[in-house]
Amino acid sequence: MDDLLARSAEELFARHADASQPAVLLEAVEEAGFLDALVPEAAGGIGLGPAEALPILLAAGRFAVRLPLGETMLARAALAAAGVAPPPGLIGLAEPWGTDAARLPPGPCPDWALWPEGEAAMLLPLAEAMPLTEASAPGGAVLRRPGGEGPRLPAAGLLVAGAWQEVAVMAGAMERILEDTLRHARDRQQFGRPVAAFQAVQQQLSVLTEDVFATRMAAQLASVAGSDGVAGLDARRVAAAKLRAGEAACRVAGIAHAVQGAMGITEEVALHRFTGRLQAARLRFGGEAYWAEWLGRQVLADDAPDTLGFVRAHLGPALPETSP
Amino acid sequence: MIGALSLATIPAEDEALRPAIRRFLDEAMPSLPPEQRARSWMGFDAGFSRAMAAAGWLGLTLPKEYGGGGRGPFARYVVVEELLAAGAPVAAHWIADRQSGPLIHRFGTEAQRRFYLPRICRAEAFFCIGMSEPNTGSDLASVTTRAVREEGGWRLNGAKIWTTNAQHAHYMIALVRTSGTPQDRHKGLSQLIIDLHAPGVRIHPIRDLAGDAHFAEVVFEDVRLPDDALIGEEGSGWAQVNAELAFERSGPERVLSSAVLLDEWLRWLRGAVEAEGAATEAETALLGRLVAHLAVLRAMSVSVTGHLAQGESPVVEAALVKDLGTEFEQSIPALLTPLLAQPGRAVPGGLMRTLAYTAAMAPSFSLRGGTREILRGMIARGMGLR
Repeated sequence: MDDLLARSAEELFARHADASQPAVLLEAVEEAGFLDALVPEAAGGIGLGPAEALPILLAAGRFAVRLPLGETMLARAALAAAGVAPPPGLIGLAEPWGTDAARLPPGPCPDWALWPEGEAAMLLPLAEAMPLTEASAPGGAVLRRPGGEGPRLPAAGLLVAGAWQEVAVMAGAMERILEDTLRHARDRQQFGRPVAAFQAVQQQLSVLTEDVFATRMAAQLASVAGSDGVAGLDARRVAAAKLRAGEAACRVAGIAHAVQGAMGITEEVALHRFTGRLQAARLRFGGEAYWAEWLGRQVLADDAPDTLGFVRAHLGPALPETSP
Repeated sequence: MIGALSLATIPAEDEALRPAIRRFLDEAMPSLPPEQRARSWMGFDAGFSRAMAAAGWLGLTLPKEYGGGGRGPFARYVVVEELLAAGAPVAAHWIADRQSGPLIHRFGTEAQRRFYLPRICRAEAFFCIGMSEPNTGSDLASVTTRAVREEGGWRLNGAKIWTTNAQHAHYMIALVRTSGTPQDRHKGLSQLIIDLHAPGVRIHPIRDLAGDAHFAEVVFEDVRLPDDALIGEEGSGWAQVNAELAFERSGPERVLSSAVLLDEWLRWLRGAVEAEGAATEAETALLGRLVAHLAVLRAMSVSVTGHLAQGESPVVEAALVKDLGTEFEQSIPALLTPLLAQPGRAVPGGLMRTLAYTAAMAPSFSLRGGTREILRGMIARGMGLR
C-alpha cells in the first residue's frame, strides 16, 4: 500500500511538478484524491493516517512541488473534524503576522486560508486579500485579513499540523538532494578523477547521508498518530521532528551546494529549488529554536524520571510502548 | 546504495522484560555516585555481573541449551537500554554478552559452544577483544600478531593494545595472522580464543586520565594454544570480525554514553525550576534539542536492531547510527559546559564531577569500535562512492 501510493504520487509529480500550469497539477492531484487523503472515509475522504499519507508528501518534496498540498490535506482534515465541508481548491494554513495579517505559503497564492483568529481559525477566501508587500518575502507572502466571516474551527493543532507536513516535505527534498549530489560527485571530474573519489568529499557525503536518514526517521516518528491533534498528530513528536529536520536541512544544504561547486545558485541547476524549499520549511510553523524550547518545557514538566523515559513514553517508534 | 531505515518497534514480549530488569536493578545495583555511574559500560563489577547471571540476564540471545535466554536481539536491547540508562557497572560481562558469545555460537564448533557459552551465561567467563596493536589502529588488516601451526596447536607471538578489560578477562578473542604477511591484508587472518592465564601472556593495564585502568596492553611471547583455539575458519578472520561489527556498532551504547550526565542535569534543572521558578530559555531549549536527537537516534538504533533480528547484517546502517550517535554523545558535555558556567548558580558537585568525567572521556566515544573517519568511509562505500 505504502509503495503503491509512493509510486503513484511520484509518477504524478514527475509528470506535472515542473509544469508552468499549477492548475494542471492541481487537477491531477484532485483527481488522484490526495487532498482528501487524511479526511475520514465517513466524510468522503480516503481515511489515511499520517503514516500512510507520508509517501505523498515525501514525493511532493522529492519533486519540489510548489503548491501547498500538505497544508490543504491537513486543512481538509481539520475542517472535516469540525463538520465543515471543505471548499474546492487549495487551502493555506495562515500563520499570524502581527494582529490583522498573516503569512501564507510561498508559491502561488492558495484559494483559501485557515486564518488565525485568536483561539480559532476561520476559513476565508483569499481572492480579495490585499498583500502587505513590505512584509512579504520569498518565504511567504503576508496578506491583510480579508473582509467577511467564514466557518470557525479550533486553531489548536494547526501549527503542529503545518509543521508535520513541512517535515515530510523536507525529508523528501533531502532524499532528492542526496541522490542528485551523489550523481554529481560521480560524474564531475577534477584532477583527472571523479570528485567522489576524494576522501574529503566522501566524508562530507557520508555526513549528508546520515542527516538524510535521520530526517526520514524523524518524519516517520512524527507520523505515528493516535493523539488529539489534526489527523491524530502528536505535538511532541512533531516538535522533535521539526527541529531535527531543520538542523539537518542546514547541514544538508551546505554540503550539497559545496559538493556541487555552488553551481546550485545558478538558475539552471535545480539544487537551489530543493534547498530553497528546505529554507522555506525551516521558516514556517516554528523553527528549531521555537520547538526546542517548547519541547524542553514538556520534558521539564513531564513525569518521566529521565530522558530515555520521556522518549519511550512520547517519542518512541510505537504508541504506546506498553510497560510503565 | 542503502535504502532508508524504516520504523521498527520493539515486540511486546521483549518490552515486557523492562519492568523485570528495573526491579532487578532496584534490588541488585550498588548505590553509586553519578560520576561512577557515568562510567557506563566501562564500569567493572564482577559481583554485579554474577548477580545478573544468577537472575538470568546474561546470554539472553544465546540458545537455552547453552544456558542462554533463547531470545532475540530485541530482548537484549531492552535490557541493555535500562542498564545503560541506570549507569549499571556492566563491563565485566559486556563484551562476552554482546559479541563474543554470539560469535562463538555462530562460528564455533559444538565443543566450543558447550565449553564457553554456559560459562559466559554464568558470568564465569569474561571476554575481551584483541584487535588493535601498537602499530595497528584503524588499519586493522595490518595486524602482525602471528599464530604459527605446530604439533597439537598454535604458537602465538605479538601484542594487542587498548584492549578493554583485558586485565579482568578470562579469554581474549584475537584477530591474528595465521598465514601470509601484513601485505596480504585481509587474507590469512583468523580469530583465536586465547586463555589469558596461559604461560607467556603478560597484561599491562593502562591508566586513563580519570585514574581508571579499563584497558590494557597484552603481550604474547611463545604462547602455546591448543588446536581448538581457532574459532571459525582459518583465514576467515576478517569476514568474521566484520560480522561482529553490526552488533557492536548499532546498540544503545552508541547513543547513551552520556546519558547519566544528561539525566543528572535534567534532575538538577527540575529542582532548580522548583526552587527558582524557571529554567533559563537556553537550558530549556538545549534540553528539548537533545531529547529530539535522542528520540531519532533511538528509533534508528531500534530499526537496525530490527534488521539484526531478521538475521541480516546491516553493517553500513550500523556505521551510520554509530557515527551520528557518538556525535550526539560527545555533544552533551560540550553543550552543557557553557550552561553550567553561570556565575552565581549553585551547581551540585556530583553533576560537576559527572560533567568532568564525561567531558574528559568523550573523545574516546567516536574512536572505540571504529573511528569516525573509518565509519564515514564505510558509509561512502555503502552509497556507491568507492
